[in-house]
Amino acid sequence: MSEEVATKETEAVPENWEPRIVGFLCYWCSYTGADSAGTARMKYPANVDIIKVMCSGRIDPELITTALSNGADGVLVAGCHIGDCHYMTGNHKTMARMPLIRQVLLDLGIEPERFRYEWISAAEGEKFTRVVREMTEQVRKLGPLNWPEILHESGVGHGRDLKPWGE
Amino acid sequence: MSINESTFGAGNGESGMEKPRIGVFVCHCGGNISDVVDVKRVAEEMSVLPGVVHSTTHMFMCSDPGQTSIEEAIKEHNLNRVIVAACSPTLHELTFRRAVARAGLNPYLFEHVNIREHVSWVIEDKEAATRKAARLISAAVSRVPYLEALEKRHIPIHGAALVIGGGVAGLTCALDLARRGIEVHLTESTDVLGGRMLELYTVFPTNEKASDLIDPLIKEVQSHPNIHVYLNTQLRDSTGAIGDFHTTIVTKKPDGGEEEREIHSGVIAIAVGVDVYQPREGEYYFGKSPAVVGLLDLQAMMNPDGPTGGKLEINGKPVKNVAFIHCVGSRQWPDIHEPQADGKINDYCSRYCCTGIVHAAAEIREKYPDVNVYDFHEDIRTYGRGHEDWYTKASEVGVLFFRFDPHKPAVVEPDPKGESALVVKCKDRLTNGLEVEVPADMVVLGNGLQARDMTTLIDLYRCSRGSDRFLLEAHPKLRPVELASFGLFLAGSVQGPMDITEATAGAAAAASKAAALVKRGFIELDPFIAKVNEELCTGCQTCLNVCPFDAISRDEEKGIAVISEALCTGCGTCAAACPSNAIQQFGFNDAEVMSEVLALLGVVKKEEEEVPVG
Repeated sequence: MSEEVATKETEAVPENWEPRIVGFLCYWCSYTGADSAGTARMKYPANVDIIKVMCSGRIDPELITTALSNGADGVLVAGCHIGDCHYMTGNHKTMARMPLIRQVLLDLGIEPERFRYEWISAAEGEKFTRVVREMTEQVRKLGPLNWPEILHESGVGHGRDLKPWGE
Repeated sequence: MSINESTFGAGNGESGMEKPRIGVFVCHCGGNISDVVDVKRVAEEMSVLPGVVHSTTHMFMCSDPGQTSIEEAIKEHNLNRVIVAACSPTLHELTFRRAVARAGLNPYLFEHVNIREHVSWVIEDKEAATRKAARLISAAVSRVPYLEALEKRHIPIHGAALVIGGGVAGLTCALDLARRGIEVHLTESTDVLGGRMLELYTVFPTNEKASDLIDPLIKEVQSHPNIHVYLNTQLRDSTGAIGDFHTTIVTKKPDGGEEEREIHSGVIAIAVGVDVYQPREGEYYFGKSPAVVGLLDLQAMMNPDGPTGGKLEINGKPVKNVAFIHCVGSRQWPDIHEPQADGKINDYCSRYCCTGIVHAAAEIREKYPDVNVYDFHEDIRTYGRGHEDWYTKASEVGVLFFRFDPHKPAVVEPDPKGESALVVKCKDRLTNGLEVEVPADMVVLGNGLQARDMTTLIDLYRCSRGSDRFLLEAHPKLRPVELASFGLFLAGSVQGPMDITEATAGAAAAASKAAALVKRGFIELDPFIAKVNEELCTGCQTCLNVCPFDAISRDEEKGIAVISEALCTGCGTCAAACPSNAIQQFGFNDAEVMSEVLALLGVVKKEEEEVPVG
């Protein structure tokens, strides 16, 4: 794995490359926190695309690996602060799962810095803005992930049998 | 079953196929969006995506003409999926769902895309913003074929209420419900109704006798035909959910035996009240001298019908000097106060004690003019209507105030000269740090309020708690007297420190909310709950452990998991945990979310698939 990481780093970064980051945000806190950033007209880079789920507890690790294996350079997960979960303890499961994802990424030879999870409340537009900025810069430094083939070979693929997208 | 089972697990190519006919509506928001995002170009790009048969823009999608244009397009183009790209869904998702429904389409075949708060207001570069808007809408185009026609859950509500706790909040709540014609079961753990108010003599701000207020309330509750009172009664067990709670209660009988009953109720109001903080041994000399008492002890002493016949005395010795100390067990500091067994300190304000103290202090000066009164505080917060009047009055009748630094609180110790029982000392910030010392035959601690041990209650009803240990409302402004689990209401100080005024206001609010539900007879809940595919479920029970609401049980006969429609709140945690992919969450099933992920990354469908339309 370490050799592969080294090989990858020597690859040339395509011109005009922009990091592609998928953000899974819980609706009650973090999605609304991103709304707060908008209402306050805070500015941040356009690299994080948000997918809404009701609770961060819904974020199946497979969604994260699917994103990375299909062209995402990074994944952000955000939920309510511990103790503030709209579903009481939904985010406790997120808290338990996310460190494992870092480990899985390490095992796959992916820099764990491409993955970040944060607790962002509905009022924390500023924090959301900061996280998006930092994450975008972090992934930009790491360069394109561009590893879908290797991930498919590792048997991760996009898992669930979604026929419309082929093998 | 209110959810259309035939369409469950859409995208699996099984039943009810129809080609998607998607309508995309991109909003200018009067320039809020279109000044940054090239909405015309985005609409054109969307028009060539698979399934899209109509793609357009409008100056204000949410306006009447905007909504009408959606309704007309649905009919004209025979649309079976609708996407509106506009502001945040928190603002207008419901508006557009309704518009879609008016045109005869199921409102859950609609998808809202946020290109204002998440794009035009935050992305400065116009090209980047336009690209991002296009990506987000294309993700919706990819997602909507998998949407299912859903129905709101319709849960009937049984027409009776259970009120737990017979203090002033429980009594108020029970009476308000009963007056609306609702049958009420009121349980009380002790052998009397009335709660803490029975321990009070006079109450602020009106200076009325507590008994004049609480006695008529108790009498009315006892005689009301709609109210059943159960004294000496505890909770034992609970099953069911909103609309259909079955609570087992146990009543201790005078002969030592117990009687078990099952209470069937549609709603439950929790009014178990609070505990008064019990100072630690030695805290302000408490426990070391009988002269250190609490505010409630003083109230009893001032009552002519009380143990001392209304005389201020300690062990029969008349009191000449009284010192009050504020914030005992409230507003504690991590570097000063030792945490309790749960590792927490009471860092909150208990709200009743400041006014309680200045009221008692002024009353002592009025009724026992020979007694000197000293007040030691770090701050005074007499915030309620009429409360400040008592502070002013206390100053006018000669109460002396001293203000200490919270990090150097007042010290209570025996009088070295032996003239009075104790002395109270502090460095007074009101006189620029003067060291003061006053004699005290009685020290009255303004003991704060603290959540009770509610272990059984929390276990039975899955109540959420704040970090301050009090029960936590679903939202402080939008759902201030409800728990996150539906059908459970918070009445009074179980929710946080409150004075009587606030507790009764909270109780009345809980009664109105509960009554509105009971009187309507049913509740409609969002359909985004989880469901088990019986064929895929292996009965491993992983989901039972992750559900925050105990909504999942095991069907022993079939050996599979079953999710209660009434208890499920739709977080989707079980769907993420299920190792067999047997659990799917309506509105957020794997196909729906995966298709969004892939479309965002530009992974496009190879060919147009047929998908079911509900």
